[in-house]
Amino acid sequence: RCRVSMSMTEIRLGFTAIKASIVSIQARDPIKTLSILSHPQSLHKVKSSDRCCITHHLFNFYVDKVFKHCKTEDSYINRKISSIANSFLSMKKKLRQCHEQNKCMCGEESTEKFKQILANYEGLNVTSAAIKSLGELDILLDWMEKSQRAEHV
Amino acid sequence: GEDALLPAPQNISILSTNMKHFLSWSPVIVQGETVRYSVEFQGEYERDYANESWIPICECSLITATVCNITEDISATVAYNLRVRADVGTRRSEWGTLKGFFNRITTSLTPPLMKVIADGCHLLVELEDMGPAFQFCVLYWKKGQESRQKVVKDASSVVHLDTMEAGPDYCVKAQTYVEAINRSSSFSQTQCVGAQGGTSMWLV
Repeated sequence: RCRVSMSMTEIRLGFTAIKASIVSIQARDPIKTLSILSHPQSLHKVKSSDRCCITHHLFNFYVDKVFKHCKTEDSYINRKISSIANSFLSMKKKLRQCHEQNKCMCGEESTEKFKQILANYEGLNVTSAAIKSLGELDILLDWMEKSQRAEHV
Repeated sequence: GEDALLPAPQNISILSTNMKHFLSWSPVIVQGETVRYSVEFQGEYERDYANESWIPICECSLITATVCNITEDISATVAYNLRVRADVGTRRSEWGTLKGFFNRITTSLTPPLMKVIADGCHLLVELEDMGPAFQFCVLYWKKGQESRQKVVKDASSVVHLDTMEAGPDYCVKAQTYVEAINRSSSFSQTQCVGAQGGTSMWLV
């Protein structure tokens, strides 16, 4: 099993500090589209055996694709995005080690699920897609915390 | 003269204790002038994924102090670069950069302050509130017996450890644990108390 300690509190605090601003940036986007992370199927439908792989994919997704397109004119927001991005990078490296030790295997379902998320993302222009994905970070954090609790039951 | 290049700040260093991180540097001396300083940071993400960009810390932009609290921005367990430059009027120095990276995993963790209370037959402990990043491991034992452990995640209130029998002393010691860096402090001094005849006794 892949055992990785994650300080969700700090990421959650950083995101909560900027969520309202991110949502208002998003509101200016004329194209109202469906969720990137939850369309058509919610993350909560992911099997426990696929959780690690989906988490690994999503951390790579945010680090490689999302954060770099989220620069704003507000230096406070940029600082918070930096702290989230660096926390995600720290996690990404730990999950990569698990993957290399074959403890974070990808089943067909998680691969399909992640392809859907990528398709949702690439269906928008890059800045809208990045800001929308950032705005949906709490969907990911909620799912991860719920998964963590489920594992402790 | 006026156009002489302003020297970059020197002796840039970090003092990091209990997950509070402060950047400090030596003052740049310019006779009869007020020198102001600005600080920027760069995380591993910025280096590897955002074109080595730097991010200003607005609370430490054009300040006269030679110290900056960077705790809020060092909020991931990765390697950070930090730099400082000086301004006098329209003159601006080059950046002075911290030698080597700073990773908060190197913060020094001190044993927690602790107050052991014998409230009648109740063994209580009050722990220093060190912020949300801190948990506490409290060991307590009746003298001559095996110790027991209690993990305390919230230090904002008094913790009940045990109900004491009259006679033997009960001893307590505690250490902090920081999940974000997966490290613990050393243990505090041991403090021992005995059950009281119904009166509170505070031992600092």
